[in-house]
Amino acid sequence: MDKHKPVILCVDDEQLPLALRKLVLEKQGYKVATASSIADALRVLDAEHVDLVLTDQLMPGGTGTELAKSIKQTRAGLPVILISGVNEIPADAVYADLFISKVEGPAAMFQKIAAVLAEHGLSLAGDAPQPQAGNQKND
Amino acid sequence: MHQGVQVNENQKVNILMVDDQPAKLLSYEAILAGLDANLIKARSGREGLELLLKHDVAVVLLDVSMPEINGFEMADMMRQHPRFQKTAILFISAVRMTDLDRIKGYQSGAVDYISVPVVPEVLRAKVGVFAELHRKSRELENLNRELEQRVEQRTRQLQESERQFRTLANSIPQLAWMADADGHVFWYNDRWYDYTGASLEDTQDVRSNKLLHPDHHDRVVAGSWHSWETGDPWEDTYPILGKDGQYRWFLSRSVPIRDSEGKVARWFGTSTDISGQIAAEEKIKQLNAQLEQRVAELETIMQVLPVGVAVAHDPVCSSVTPNQALSNLLGVDPGIDLARSLDRTGGSAYDFYQDGRLLTKDELPMQRSIAARKPVPTTEWEMRRADGKSIQVLGSASPLFDAEGEVRGAVGAFFDVSDRKRMEDLLRERADLLELASEAILVRDPAGVVQYWNAGAEALYGWERHEVAGKPAHQVLETEFPVGAANVESALINEGRWHGNLIQKTRDGREVIVASRQVFKKEAGSILEINRDITAQTRAEEALRRTEKLAAMGRVAGIIAHEINNPLEAITNAFYLLRNHPSLDEEARYYAQLGEEELARVCHITKQTLGFYRESQHPVDVSVAGLLDEVLQLQMRQLQLGRIVLDKKYLSNSTVRGFPVELRQVFFNLIGNAVQAMPDGGRLRIRMGDRWNERVGRTDLVISVCDTGAGVRPEHAKHLFEPFFTTKSSKGTGLGLWISKGIIQKYDGTIQFRSIPFKGGNLTAFRVRLPGAGPTAKVIAGTGLAVADEIARVPLGQT
Repeated sequence: MDKHKPVILCVDDEQLPLALRKLVLEKQGYKVATASSIADALRVLDAEHVDLVLTDQLMPGGTGTELAKSIKQTRAGLPVILISGVNEIPADAVYADLFISKVEGPAAMFQKIAAVLAEHGLSLAGDAPQPQAGNQKND
Repeated sequence: MHQGVQVNENQKVNILMVDDQPAKLLSYEAILAGLDANLIKARSGREGLELLLKHDVAVVLLDVSMPEINGFEMADMMRQHPRFQKTAILFISAVRMTDLDRIKGYQSGAVDYISVPVVPEVLRAKVGVFAELHRKSRELENLNRELEQRVEQRTRQLQESERQFRTLANSIPQLAWMADADGHVFWYNDRWYDYTGASLEDTQDVRSNKLLHPDHHDRVVAGSWHSWETGDPWEDTYPILGKDGQYRWFLSRSVPIRDSEGKVARWFGTSTDISGQIAAEEKIKQLNAQLEQRVAELETIMQVLPVGVAVAHDPVCSSVTPNQALSNLLGVDPGIDLARSLDRTGGSAYDFYQDGRLLTKDELPMQRSIAARKPVPTTEWEMRRADGKSIQVLGSASPLFDAEGEVRGAVGAFFDVSDRKRMEDLLRERADLLELASEAILVRDPAGVVQYWNAGAEALYGWERHEVAGKPAHQVLETEFPVGAANVESALINEGRWHGNLIQKTRDGREVIVASRQVFKKEAGSILEINRDITAQTRAEEALRRTEKLAAMGRVAGIIAHEINNPLEAITNAFYLLRNHPSLDEEARYYAQLGEEELARVCHITKQTLGFYRESQHPVDVSVAGLLDEVLQLQMRQLQLGRIVLDKKYLSNSTVRGFPVELRQVFFNLIGNAVQAMPDGGRLRIRMGDRWNERVGRTDLVISVCDTGAGVRPEHAKHLFEPFFTTKSSKGTGLGLWISKGIIQKYDGTIQFRSIPFKGGNLTAFRVRLPGAGPTAKVIAGTGLAVADEIARVPLGQT
């Protein structure tokens, strides 16, 4: 079962939010790797198998879009989702597959990750928990 | 002579012989016959007295002893008669003592006696003496009488001539007087009294004559005295005081009147009033002096005049004198006669041209003025000098006339206008430049009154030159000075210049900001003002500042968002984990859920306040009807509170390909404006429909938003889509329509508006035209027309 779980690489310079995001995603059923910087992330990518990169936008030492650009140059098939506390979509967001806001809540995040993974022929096992619906509305 | 006629007849004297004895009478007759006298005989004393009365008797020969009346008695009677008192009596008597004594008693008169016998020689001698005596005395008497007559006649003549003289002297206009030999005046004529009003007594002596002018008194007295002493005529000119208290000048003369012996009998004098003459002479003297001065002045003026002047001294211009300026102008030596320098046979020093044609001598202005006998008006000529220099000359000429009205010459004036022409060309160019300048250039006086107003000013302010000329510029433009008009004026006066930005109103009430440079031209007493429209620049700068502010705000918002959203996400995730934790009982899970919900609210707020972001990067098909409903839903509460009636008709369900956020922003803005324009209620009409776009060959979606609110003032119309233009002062950012237009243009659409008076209010319509989403859009037949009619009622302004 575990080997079917998609692996998500979570990148964020802030440790606590990174840890919580990892926990939430794991709770949802994903296998999660973490990196606290771009360089760190690239090292992980070299060392491990990753199905999707979920990266913060604003980090010391380089932005999430720069990471996305770098990844697309070497691993064109690897989907990258930007997750940002900033509401403005950066100009070079095109390198990423999707831009999501940090404040949209876990449910929206799961939905969008799942959608992107689905585009790449990946999905959680059928026993993956269903996203909690109804209490988080974006408008 | 009324006495005896006999005496006169022959000049013989009568001798009366009285004797009573005829013989004696005869003897006396014989004795006296040789005396050449009339012998009258009387025989008695009575007869003798009768004869005495008849004749002028020279001698009476009287016999003393006679009867009746003797000789003595008769003599007594004669002596009692005055006529005979001096008649000589010769008594003839015998010598008796008594007789002799008595005879002696008559000796006072002419009485003698002859004693008897009479000696003839004695008798003859004595009678002869008496007769001769009588004749002499009678001649003397005649002589005297004649003399007296002559004196009388002469006196009468003199009186007559004196009377005539005085009449004459009174009738002459001069003052006249007469003085005796020593100058003592005894008579003045009436004119003199009329003029002086003085009395004879006061002015008899020249030394004390107070009528003489004090400055002249001593000289006049000395002259008069000299004249009286020498008897020479005297003449002098001096002022005499009139009774009006004014002195007048008189020419006084006096001449002596001499008697037959050549002695001065009296002086006759006259004084002639020459004040007028003196004044006239004085005036003529002054006039002459002035005339000489004027001639000298004119001569000087002519020489120093910067204008060339020539004088022709005869009608054929054979001698023409130039002044210095003309000599310089013509390039000839000063003082040279122009008639010679113009002589072409010797190669003239200069030629006159008009319109490029060489003029003949007769066509020159002075010659022409002489020929025409009238002035030649100012005309422009070109003068080409021998040295090759070409000069533009303005010339005029006038003929000179003599006293008989014949032309005697001419005067010409020539003015070098080459510089002026060049200057005029330059000025014209500059004026053209001024007109070309995009800046508003105006010249005003210190009071602000407009003297010049260029095309740039007309363009900028909308006021035409003739509308503002003579009006105070800054009142017309409602100028707001940054430092107060008085400070600007004082800076201009003290420093000569000022610059700064002004806020002014155009003719249509639009506010413009100009960068103004003002220069005070002291010599002209005017102020040159150049105003450059920096409204757009200023607005752009303001916009930039505000954009920067917004950008800064955006950055701040971004930072805040980042700083808030990061922990928010962490907390949200923490609650998510907490809520789903299996160890929680129902109550704890409920609490966690409450916390999670409140967190969701916080997240929602930060999203709303700290900025939108696009849900997607790719355009999608957006249902405009849905979008409009969404926006209306948001405004519903405003519509209800504002008593605004909503009238919406969607005649199409077409979609537009794009980003919902952007399109929502457009309609949110248009509908929001419409609602805000109707604070007192009204009607909000929304129409949507398809319309065929002939020009590009596609179906467009047309959405119109109409309100019956405040309307848009015409002067605001063309600024409506400018950034930061707002009529809502504090409420709006002034960016709404600008952003909306930008979004619509990005969609290749258009936005138009029109505001017109409508049913006592205003009808304001915004029409948005967006390209339909292509073949997928469904066109409902006929609805496009309906919308077209709707919109057609409101003529639209182009944006």
